Amino acid sequence: MLNYYDPKQTPAPQHFLPERDYGTPARLSETLVSLEIDGVAITVPEGTSVLRAAALADINIPKLCASDNLEAFGSCRLCAVQIEGRRGLPASCTTPVAAGMQVTTQNARLAKLRRNVMELYISDHPLDCLTCPANGDCELQDMAGAVGLREVRYGFDGDNHLDAETDDSNPYFSFDPSKCIVCSRCVRACEEVQGTFALTIEGRGFESKVAAGQSEAFMDSECVSCGACVQACPTSTLMEKSVIEQGQPEHSVVTTCAYCGVGCSFKAEMQGDRVVRMVPYKGGDANHGHSCVKGRFAFGYATHPDRLKTPMIRETIDQPWREVGWEEAIAFAAERLKAIQARYGRESIGGITSSRCTNEETYLVQKLVRAAFRNNNTDTCARVCHSPTGYGLKTTLGESAGTQTFDSVMQADVIVVIGANPTDAHPVFASQMRRRLRQGAELIVVDPRRIDLLKTPRHRGAQHLALRPGTNVAMINAMAHVVISEGLEDREFIAKRCDAAGYQAWREFILDPRHAPENVEAITGVPAEQVRRAARTYAQAPNGAIYYGLGVTEHSQGSSMVMGIANLAMATGNIGREGVGVNPLRGQNNVQGSCDMGSFPHELPGYQHVGDPAVRERFEAAWGVPIDDEPGLRIPNMFDAAVAGDFKALYVQGEDIAQSDPNTQHVEEALRSLECLIVQDIFLNETAKFAHVLLPGSSFLEKDGTFTNAERRINRVRKVMPPLAGKQDWEVTIDLANALGYPMHYDHPAQIVDEIASLTPSFTGVSYARLDALGSIQWPCNAAHPEGTPTMHVEDFPIGLGQFAITDYVASDELSNRRFPLLLTTGRILSQYNVGAQTRRTHNQAWHDEDVLELHPADAELRGVRDGDWVGITSRAGQTVLRARISDRMPPGVVYTTFHHPGSGANVITTDSSDWATNCPEYKVTAVQVEKVSQPSAWQRQFQTFDRLQLQLLRGARDEAARPPAAERANE
Amino acid sequence: MSRSQLDTLIHMANQIAANNAHYGDDAAERVHTHLKKFWARSMKRLIVEYLHEDGSELSPLARQAVELLAQGQAEARPTSA
Repeated sequence: MLNYYDPKQTPAPQHFLPERDYGTPARLSETLVSLEIDGVAITVPEGTSVLRAAALADINIPKLCASDNLEAFGSCRLCAVQIEGRRGLPASCTTPVAAGMQVTTQNARLAKLRRNVMELYISDHPLDCLTCPANGDCELQDMAGAVGLREVRYGFDGDNHLDAETDDSNPYFSFDPSKCIVCSRCVRACEEVQGTFALTIEGRGFESKVAAGQSEAFMDSECVSCGACVQACPTSTLMEKSVIEQGQPEHSVVTTCAYCGVGCSFKAEMQGDRVVRMVPYKGGDANHGHSCVKGRFAFGYATHPDRLKTPMIRETIDQPWREVGWEEAIAFAAERLKAIQARYGRESIGGITSSRCTNEETYLVQKLVRAAFRNNNTDTCARVCHSPTGYGLKTTLGESAGTQTFDSVMQADVIVVIGANPTDAHPVFASQMRRRLRQGAELIVVDPRRIDLLKTPRHRGAQHLALRPGTNVAMINAMAHVVISEGLEDREFIAKRCDAAGYQAWREFILDPRHAPENVEAITGVPAEQVRRAARTYAQAPNGAIYYGLGVTEHSQGSSMVMGIANLAMATGNIGREGVGVNPLRGQNNVQGSCDMGSFPHELPGYQHVGDPAVRERFEAAWGVPIDDEPGLRIPNMFDAAVAGDFKALYVQGEDIAQSDPNTQHVEEALRSLECLIVQDIFLNETAKFAHVLLPGSSFLEKDGTFTNAERRINRVRKVMPPLAGKQDWEVTIDLANALGYPMHYDHPAQIVDEIASLTPSFTGVSYARLDALGSIQWPCNAAHPEGTPTMHVEDFPIGLGQFAITDYVASDELSNRRFPLLLTTGRILSQYNVGAQTRRTHNQAWHDEDVLELHPADAELRGVRDGDWVGITSRAGQTVLRARISDRMPPGVVYTTFHHPGSGANVITTDSSDWATNCPEYKVTAVQVEKVSQPSAWQRQFQTFDRLQLQLLRGARDEAARPPAAERANE
Repeated sequence: MSRSQLDTLIHMANQIAANNAHYGDDAAERVHTHLKKFWARSMKRLIVEYLHEDGSELSPLARQAVELLAQGQAEARPTSA
């Protein structure tokens, strides 16, 4: 088990074990208090409860309603203690320590009290312990044992709750109120940990009971199924259905979630090689024991029958798949790649690395491209999400990554969220943000849509700048204009930390009256006064922190907007300490890592440009081959080159470009033009339907490696079950390299990390041994920062001085006009993840089984559209049909949808328009028309036909494999 | 509908130019540097070919930058294979 030490938790070094429950949360006071508990002297921070102080001295006071992730509640009375000189027997959870206090935790009087308490609990509790799903993991049972309960004198015939009905509505957990002891832990977890406030205690006294929403079924309430209540429940009242079905796990392994960029640590709790449940790990530095519905529950896809288990090949995409062995598939792929290069040239092939795979796997794919393909045609899905972050932050701050830890938000006074939807896309971090908001931080949201964060319970006064899509840069310039023109800038920071000439030039630029909120109002649609107020709020806060997402990057000016954000943060001195910073919220689990690992066509690992001879020299020495000094093609350039006939083969690992990339029809045309498409994935995804070679991938549960989350935190991924198809993804890339004649030999991903560390200055201190010792590491980690770097740019920037960038607003080509009068913007939903390949194969479907078009009532009325009607959405790129949902979350003129289901064709309508600096597609702005229709679009009908055909071709291969060999058949 | 590869490159060059126009005298060099650092060899070749053949759809600033690119390539050619 890992020992976890967090210096932030206590001023005095105190080892704290994540597996233990210390009863009440840590206190951070620097004042220390000494007391005696059962004769043991102990010193703890002021404000610590007696219960926690005792636990730190390994004195375990019985407890039921207390848990160290919740504030003390004092309802169960089991943790009563006797304190010298004080009357009665106070609850140790609600009693803070005092200097010189002498506490007794065990004596006859306390034992009697505790037994009486337990007796009352048990008098209204079913005695089916042997057949209860919590058997072996029940705190009530443990406490009955601890206090020595031997009889229940009241009998069991009195009024009780034993017949209370179970609520099975949630697909992942059940709520059996007959076993509830009304300790309120679930209610408090929903409030304090998750911040949703979906649960309450209804009624009083004997009538009190836990209720979801307005006494609704869990599924009908505002419950988001994060699992915090299930985790908190000391009995089997709230219980995972998987445990009810399978029983208690027998061992567990700490690993990292493969969903979003928060990178939560989980304990995979196992029976043999089967996952029984995923439990958020309290020692996880990103999530501190919290989870969301995806990471906590939606892991069933890993063993879904659709998983690909055998390599397959075919000559053309209209042929049935042929199941073959690994060797044959790899040889087939390698021969094809070699033949294509021989015929069309070295630059005619390329590869796409995956932001869902590990750092080690990503590193190997780009190495394969550079060293075995001998070109730089490597790219990754960050191209379509956060490439502008890489460009923009590197240009201004000198490093392509966010500046803070997640925990830093707890020091922020003003939180600015731009183009991000944390409650849906980064839910565990959103819970932390909401905790800070409840403590009184101010919130400014810059987004066309009214996101859920704006209705954070117990937080008021959020400012919402509901700007027109595509006008971010005008908005950020207006905010900066207010800061500078009103003299709100941090002159000391600017003078000390930023390039003077660059600042002067920017200052003159930004002071131009055309950037004044009053003059920008016509562009953004946001009243000037709101912009002024928001800018002042941010600039005047002691600590202002900016968080942003794809609503910033996925625009024709994505890179400009990232630089605009960095400008604003530098101008106000909000860089280089806790509570501030520029924080990109990364989409997929390893987007940060895939960028770090050299997936981009112009950069080797660690963002080192291929044009730099000194850099190339080091890699050439290590890899033993010359490296091309020119950048390669980016994903959209590859598509264009494929359609033009110059680009012929592509190796895609764990990425579904056919569904996720814009202008689907163009992408499909490009994929059809390829002579060899090699897809390595866990499912037959949309891209695989165009493939010639299918290499079965392994899920995160089946491999060792590391993921790097949005706070640059490198976390270990640990294998808990064997790969279904026999190989981890990194092993497959090695095989392909060897078959191509470029030798690769690694026995374990740890060796790959050692190679990365030897070539990447910001990773020199990273190794599996260090990761196991420290739990996780935030890069840069090197001689200067041996334990990693939680906060970046504290002393200076990697480029020395911060560079202000001039970010002129250039309107997108995607303008609405008479033909396309509405602007479509796209986003995500909590229960589904990205293209949905994983979550659609779980019960998360219960929350969102189709993508819908959100449409403002005014726009709907104009078109005679009612809620639930089929509507056709047409853009310059194509048409698709979705069901309409009338919603006033967007301003009139803006429509919204998600892209989690392939048949929705959301990307049939998104266009080729892209960020000027990085080609990141402009998903967030597409000019469209919406009208009532009665049937699916032509693309959708074609999609259905093609989908049916490809599934048949896959099934054909499986049936063929299931048949006995021809010789046996002949005898039948 | 999708643009042709060349149309896309012309559009991209013009877009890069538009977003760097404010840099005045440095603008052409900035656009040029951007093309040099981020465009693949084949993309550079296509845009330079277009400059020599026609070039009319390039904005003045994009055109200057592509000219710088063409010059750089011409100078580099004798020494590199």
